[in-house]
Amino acid sequence: MVYFESWDEFVTKSVELFRTHPDTTRYVVKYRHSEGKLVLKVTDNHECFKFKTDQAQDAKKMEKLNTIFFTLMTHGPDADISDVSGKEQAEQPQSKKGRGRRQ
Amino acid sequence: MVLLQPDPFLSELTGMYERNTEKGSVWVTMKRSPMKCREKLNKMALEGESLELLCLVRATDGKRNITTLLSPKEYLKFQASYATVLKAHMHALKKRERKDRKKPAEVEKIPEKEPKKQKKSPSKKPSGSKS
Repeated sequence: MVYFESWDEFVTKSVELFRTHPDTTRYVVKYRHSEGKLVLKVTDNHECFKFKTDQAQDAKKMEKLNTIFFTLMTHGPDADISDVSGKEQAEQPQSKKGRGRRQ
Repeated sequence: MVLLQPDPFLSELTGMYERNTEKGSVWVTMKRSPMKCREKLNKMALEGESLELLCLVRATDGKRNITTLLSPKEYLKFQASYATVLKAHMHALKKRERKDRKKPAEVEKIPEKEPKKQKKSPSKKPSGSKS
């Protein structure tokens, strides 16, 4: 079991794992409101990758990963996920809206 | 384990998130599932039939399990609503915070007795003026 520090690495490894074992790999999102914790887990019962966060910005990344897994699971492991890479660079277009800071 | 249609599933999930705000966790699992038994699968593989890929989504708070099945057609709609549900309930997470900053909760200070006429004196003031 590994907790990843880097989001991109977590995504890459998880997708890789799913593509290798599409039938046994599952993706779990655990959310604990009282502590403000979010834990993502991808496992095939042999390998287990986890990512833990308490940051709201990571929830946005998680949505991308949700999209990736939905796509992979319903369209097969060979599905094209290049339009939803889920990695950092995918977030950039959002900043163009110029709505100002939402703090 | 209750198998629901995607929409009731989402409203149940919403309820689950709401019931677990004070304490408790909610798990949401996604898994690919053909929803066929092993023999059937083997038979289908022999006959070269292609499987419809379904995505099984389960949610639990440790007390109750709910499940839904998504076909490739349904998943786009589900995914959008699911994202909305998540956004609405995951508000306990911290907003953007610089990594080098110290925990803001502990820095919070009780306002000092001195009159506040000097415009917003920085709170880092040395404590020498106490006595």
